[in-house]
Amino acid sequence: MVQYNFKKITVVPSGKDFIDIILSRTQRQTPTVVHKGYAISRLRKFYMRKVKFTQQNFHEKLTAIIDEFPRLDDIHPFYGDLLHVLYNKDHYKLALGQINTARNIIGKIAKDYVKLLKYGDSLYRCKCLKVAALGRMCTVIKRIGPSLAYLEQIRQHMARLPSIDPNTRTILICGYPNVGKSSFINKITRADVDVQPYAFTTKSLFVGHTDYKYLRYQVIDTPGILDRPFEDRNIIEMCSITALAHIRAAVLFFLDISGSCGYSIAQQAALFHSIKALFMNKPLIIVCNKIDLQPLEGLSDDDIKLVMEMKAEASQTVIAQGDEPNDESVFLTMSALTDDGVIAVKNAACERLLNQRVEMKMKSKKINDCLNRFHVAIPKPRDTRERPPCIPQAVLEARAKANVEKEKRKLEKDLENENGGAGVYSANLRKHYILANDEWKEDIMPEILDGHNVYDFVDPDILQRLEELEGEEEGFQLEAEAEEKYFEIDGKELTPEELEALAEIRKKKSLLIQEHRMKKSTAESRPVLPRKFDKDRKFTSERMGRQLSALGLDPTAATNRARCRSVSRRGQKRERSLAREGEDGDAMDIDGEQSSKKLRTRSRSRSKSRSKSQPPGEVTPGEGFRNSSQKLKALKIAKKSVKIRNKTARRGEADRVIPNLKPKHLFSGKRSIGKTSRR
Amino acid sequence: MRLEKCWFCSSTIYPGHGIQFVRNDAKIFRFCRSKCHKNFKMKRNPRKVKWTKAYRRLHGKDMTQDSTFELERKRNRPERYDRNVAENTLKAIKKIDKIRVAREARHHSMRMKGKKAIEQQAAAKELEQSIHLVKAPAALQEDPSLTLPKIRVTVSRSQTEDAWKNNDNAGNPLTWWHRKLNSTLSYARLVY
Repeated sequence: MVQYNFKKITVVPSGKDFIDIILSRTQRQTPTVVHKGYAISRLRKFYMRKVKFTQQNFHEKLTAIIDEFPRLDDIHPFYGDLLHVLYNKDHYKLALGQINTARNIIGKIAKDYVKLLKYGDSLYRCKCLKVAALGRMCTVIKRIGPSLAYLEQIRQHMARLPSIDPNTRTILICGYPNVGKSSFINKITRADVDVQPYAFTTKSLFVGHTDYKYLRYQVIDTPGILDRPFEDRNIIEMCSITALAHIRAAVLFFLDISGSCGYSIAQQAALFHSIKALFMNKPLIIVCNKIDLQPLEGLSDDDIKLVMEMKAEASQTVIAQGDEPNDESVFLTMSALTDDGVIAVKNAACERLLNQRVEMKMKSKKINDCLNRFHVAIPKPRDTRERPPCIPQAVLEARAKANVEKEKRKLEKDLENENGGAGVYSANLRKHYILANDEWKEDIMPEILDGHNVYDFVDPDILQRLEELEGEEEGFQLEAEAEEKYFEIDGKELTPEELEALAEIRKKKSLLIQEHRMKKSTAESRPVLPRKFDKDRKFTSERMGRQLSALGLDPTAATNRARCRSVSRRGQKRERSLAREGEDGDAMDIDGEQSSKKLRTRSRSRSKSRSKSQPPGEVTPGEGFRNSSQKLKALKIAKKSVKIRNKTARRGEADRVIPNLKPKHLFSGKRSIGKTSRR
Repeated sequence: MRLEKCWFCSSTIYPGHGIQFVRNDAKIFRFCRSKCHKNFKMKRNPRKVKWTKAYRRLHGKDMTQDSTFELERKRNRPERYDRNVAENTLKAIKKIDKIRVAREARHHSMRMKGKKAIEQQAAAKELEQSIHLVKAPAALQEDPSLTLPKIRVTVSRSQTEDAWKNNDNAGNPLTWWHRKLNSTLSYARLVY
């Protein structure tokens, strides 16, 4: 069975698009570079290739269009008529004809220009010929632009046509507008047709599928038909007429008894009689809809008479088929709103159609081939003895017992319900445990003891192993004790004085290490006071004396020598008494010697750099001092001002200084590029 | 519920502690605290990190092979509950613990056995070599015993007496170290 699916037709491009596509393809897929210095045959070949390529592409695409659009004479008359109704056969054929002509014209153009190109003598001439050829082809396409647009419209509409198979089991629903055809199809199939109170809601055919006796039936919903002469009908009505005419289907003619569709029964009966010619050889069922609004019995006599006439007509078709007239299969009532009788209608229609089709098949010649393929094999009975199925007695008993048990056994669920329901009762999972002793069922065993997992130790013969272990342990202990006795401690104990000395040694060593560490760290970072300015008095001769005596040596000689050689006593004679030190601090010698302080602070380098011929207080004319005493005073003030700073090793004017150790611009803010993971 | 061992330091992980890491090959690493976890993330080998059990066992600091360890074994098949067995197991665990602790102590003492002798030797050597830090070689020649020399402080007689006399009259409050110094001075041996 051919599936009529018009969705596979390729898109028809508009005129302009068509030209663009082909020309760009020519440009991409043929060589583009050519120089006038090439050989003439090469130039000719180049341009001929372009012309031919363009022509071939046009030919291909136009052929595709012509082939894919269906030919109205070759398809099923239903579709042919449907397409004619929708699109007008003549226009359609004309459009396709134009495309065909265009194709031929383009072919001719290409042939002519290729012939001319063979005799082109320069690059320029060949190029002009190519341009002319392509131009003419494009003009042809431009001229058929409207046809292409028309075909594109048709293609889009065709793709949306419902896929109706004209050869399969079909049920057709027809009648006046607004009688309830779409509601009915919505009920029996999954189709979702629009149902509205105004007439001509359904404007085209709709298909739904339904099942009956394991077979699929197509149900076609048609737009409403009015009672008019054939020539006056519009496109929408023509759709339904076409469907009625060409598809072999069961027809359900819908009747609105209540008249709420806006048309009386008389009008509907008139329509029936006018189209009953289309119902030839089709199972026909009259369906009275909307009986919830108006029951059949409440109709007036005239109406009932009309209805009976229609029924009679319908019955006649049944008789013509050879079946006996059955009231129920010809005339039915239903209400789509209340679902009353809907299924009955569907079943009746499907049944009638099925019977008719089977009849037809039986009458045709093909059925004999089918029948030959069926064969039901029945074994021939040997004798007339009855042989019922044999079930052993035990199985029967077991079955009976199982049934009884199932009723008697108390389920966990019952127990739960008795004891307060789901939230209250929690089942005791332990009661089904299988243990050696049933008293142990409620035992709780610890899982953890003293930082060990108890399950790791569990062993049926753990006691035995423990005993072995303890035996081992005792053995080890005895061994250990025995060893200890033989183990002698080396008797090289230290005397208390030695211990004291050792402690002193270690203390001194640790002090040395500490000092070294401090010195190591401060050497680079902190400035160190020079020895002559030591305010902690670490480098005094007294201290030296103390330390020497602590080591056990006699310090007198050393201290004397130290005092002799000290800077303050440079130049002094050795006869001076050594005991004079420290107590009388103001013992300053007045006989011509310089004070010790002065000697200490005076820089030695300065004395070398300046010539000795000028004493320090002498004022040279350009300096700005009045007299030497003023100069001396000035020098004294200057020295005094830096004295404390020097002594305490503070930062001076000449030392480098960083005024701001944490400038704000480096330690805050976002960077324009880069990361700030470190500052 | 099981008590697991930390993969890094081999200590027990109690419920509610630590982190478990599951690798793509489905191997599970359990850590008792973030210290172990962070060490693992740094790809440190526990056999090289001094404070872990792995290091200690590898370098012989802790007991490795013992029959007490064989009694504790992870069993994959669950045993049917038996009250007597459970009772015995619980008692046994305590005893086994005691034995194991005793054995470890013995192991430790075996390890430390020769320590005293070595220490004494080292002390003697240090004394011999570094005695010059506290007693000058000259003094050592005179007095070969290893007693320490005392500090000798020279103090003139007049100063001490005047100081004592002037203490109360001056009215200056004496700080405690003043007093201490004075007292030591008075006890110091006067030389020369």
